[in-house]
Amino acid sequence: MLWRDNYELGVPVIDAQHKELFRRVESFLQVLRSADNWEEKVNKINETLDFMKMYVVEHFRDEEEYQKSIGYPGYEKHKQLHIGMVEYVQEFCKQYEESNNSEQLMQQFGGRLLAWLINHVAAEDQRIADYAIKKGMSGNGR
Amino acid sequence: MVDKIYRTFVDATQNVFNLMLNISDISDHPAENFNCDSEIDIAIGVIGDLQGEVVYRFPASTSINMVKLMSGMQFDEVDAFVTSAISEIANIISGNVLTALSGSDLTCDILPPVQTKIDEQKEYDIKTSCCISTTIGAICLEIRLNKAA
Ligand SMILES: [Fe+2]
Repeated sequence: MLWRDNYELGVPVIDAQHKELFRRVESFLQVLRSADNWEEKVNKINETLDFMKMYVVEHFRDEEEYQKSIGYPGYEKHKQLHIGMVEYVQEFCKQYEESNNSEQLMQQFGGRLLAWLINHVAAEDQRIADYAIKKGMSGNGR
Repeated sequence: MVDKIYRTFVDATQNVFNLMLNISDISDHPAENFNCDSEIDIAIGVIGDLQGEVVYRFPASTSINMVKLMSGMQFDEVDAFVTSAISEIANIISGNVLTALSGSDLTCDILPPVQTKIDEQKEYDIKTSCCISTTIGAICLEIRLNKAA
């Protein structure tokens, strides 16, 4: 399983979203890494990619709203990290389409996404949680 | 200066292994000769007050173990997925080093990771290497930087 309990931040509203995000990334990676040959699985991959992309954007937006609601001082900086990732995903999707669904490109995307996501949740999002807990606002769901 | 840069890289690497892979049993020593059967070398270019590159040498077995730990999935060989995942880790470590250095008035930026082969011949103001050993294998960092004129 992709999710690990040590990614839990102690802020229920973010933790629930992260678990859902990891579930979607995991199902994408499972198709990507399955033994089926590329032609067989490419449609399924494109589907799960779209599904995951939608959730990533939604989650970033919700997380930014949450940061604002607790007055998180690193809001602007964190938002830039989200924007950077969304831009990378868009750029990748463009290249992937132009390459006519290159497996090599998609494998590269999967590897980077995995490492990026884990670092983002384990390091960057942790700062939001630390702040919320310090301010006694970690229970503030919407 | 060399010591400080060395330390900053070691600390950042330990930190990333700790946070991302949940590995805390880590030691470092200067790498005189770092040998392994097959390795992937990822270079991160540095520009700004320091210029040059840092090459992260990942043995195949370490790379595979890292990606297995992150994904909870099975990997048997270093393919495009694995190479890309460890490239991102080199990128993350380097980014954290720059953040740490900016606190001591060194402003630098990094370039996207590229797969490389190490050129041993060139001389640099700051040329050092460190080997970082963990329970899932070692990695070696070759730091090659010049101070901007
Ligand atoms: Fe975030």
